[in-house]
Amino acid sequence: MSLLITIAKRAGRTLLLILFAAGGTILLVRFAPGFFSDSREMDAKYAQAALAEIQAENNQQQSVGWIAIQEVKGWLSGGFGVSRQYHVPVAQLIGARVRVSAFLLAQGIFRGWLLAICAALPISALRKGAVLWRLPFTLLLSIPTAAMATACILADAGGPVLVLSLLIAAREFNFLRNLLEGAWRSPHLLQGRAQGMSPRALVTLHILPNVVPQLCALTTLSIVTALGALVPIEVIFTVPGVGQLAWSAVMNRDLPVLVAVSLLMACVVGFAGMLSTRTVTLEAV
Amino acid sequence: MKKRIAAAILLLLILGATLVLRMSRYDYAFQDREAIMAPSTAQHWTGTDELGRDRTVRVAAALLIGLTGAAAAAITTMIAACFGLLAAFSPRWVAAILMFLSDAFLSLPWLFLLMLARSLLPLTASPLETAVTTFLILAALGWPACARAIYRGASVLRSAEWMIQGHACGLKTRQLIRLHILPHLRSLLLPQFLICVPAFIVAEANLGALGLGVGEPMPSWGAMLLELENSALLAQSHWVYLPIALLVAVLLILESFTTEVETNA
Repeated sequence: MSLLITIAKRAGRTLLLILFAAGGTILLVRFAPGFFSDSREMDAKYAQAALAEIQAENNQQQSVGWIAIQEVKGWLSGGFGVSRQYHVPVAQLIGARVRVSAFLLAQGIFRGWLLAICAALPISALRKGAVLWRLPFTLLLSIPTAAMATACILADAGGPVLVLSLLIAAREFNFLRNLLEGAWRSPHLLQGRAQGMSPRALVTLHILPNVVPQLCALTTLSIVTALGALVPIEVIFTVPGVGQLAWSAVMNRDLPVLVAVSLLMACVVGFAGMLSTRTVTLEAV
Repeated sequence: MKKRIAAAILLLLILGATLVLRMSRYDYAFQDREAIMAPSTAQHWTGTDELGRDRTVRVAAALLIGLTGAAAAAITTMIAACFGLLAAFSPRWVAAILMFLSDAFLSLPWLFLLMLARSLLPLTASPLETAVTTFLILAALGWPACARAIYRGASVLRSAEWMIQGHACGLKTRQLIRLHILPHLRSLLLPQFLICVPAFIVAEANLGALGLGVGEPMPSWGAMLLELENSALLAQSHWVYLPIALLVAVLLILESFTTEVETNA
């Protein structure tokens, strides 16, 4: 029962955070200079009366409450409103791009983690020279995502998945190495080594099962990192995903798209956080 | 030792950049129309860009502007310290609200949040205004994770025995924070500040590469990364890679500070 209450509380908090993110985006965009500028006002073919009508229509849409109500109506109808930029339903715009971004995220996170684990496992067991082996990851950490993506394009090698994987690997490597270093030094592992257990057996039977809860929690961080990196990667590689849509919406002050993307991102981060906390708590029990 | 070498290199880079800006006869915005996309010459040591602007001067200016990230990091650490301490020494409901607020900021990926906030500012802002705004936004949005760490640290210290002793001696909470809590939190605040500096420089570079960073003609790492997309410029000179090489070097130096402080902690 207490578990259900805890889950309900967490779900409620996540929902509140998502609504807060949506409200914040509406406020931010509403007060952005030039938000109510209408390209039709500069079009000579509109008569004075028509222009006055357009202005009156825009003035009516100025209150935050009105915008919020329209947004909620859009969410309830499942359409998320109509994009100001493309004049198509936002759900349709996002639906087509979510698959592309989700695939990119999944591949990037999976490969990044694989690379980080494969590197951290042997390096964490080293007693000397670990600094030298850590150098490539420190170097990767010092390269901005945009620069990494541009370098890939220049070298005509790799693509968005490689950049995302390298970024995730660089970010998670240090956490993993610290975690595994602690695991290698634990007394039961020293005992196992003294008894002649093979490193493979130590890793599969003792180290990995012990660090799984922490790894689950770290995955949430990877999702947040990957979501943040999605924008420059998709823009530079011209991947038609949610990141590129968000960038284009930001540049064109497309409120319905921005609110929908913010909601989507807040949902992913919120639920991933909720899930990882639950996993860690349950494992602790 | 490692920290001292890193600090010395960083200081040398800053001094070098300042000297270049002082001694050069070109301004970072000056366009030499006779030397568009020029290779390395006696006038332009590292060549010019597609508008004929001296690359050495621009890189030097970008280095100094990028290091303004340190000021933004200081502001964000101060905001985080205020939030964390306020939450730790307030009634529980105030702490809950403040931590919910920090969670709300953390519920969106940082770069997306930065992009959102930065893009919604006036389009007609001057280059200096865009630079100040960019770093102020970084400072204004970078505090939540740091505030959470400080809140946790301050909460532990609040229930320490010497705090109870201090209260019993008649010291006010404000005095206790100033005289005892803040010095104890220094080991937490310094790493937070050092983590923020490279993070802000990287964020500025990413924003700049998306066209949302410091406005032209003011040089910035992000804007200089965009040069790499110009294939004609790349074919002309290898000096185009200078900004990215220098940026990585600066970030590596800053990362080494962070690693050392984390190891000592």
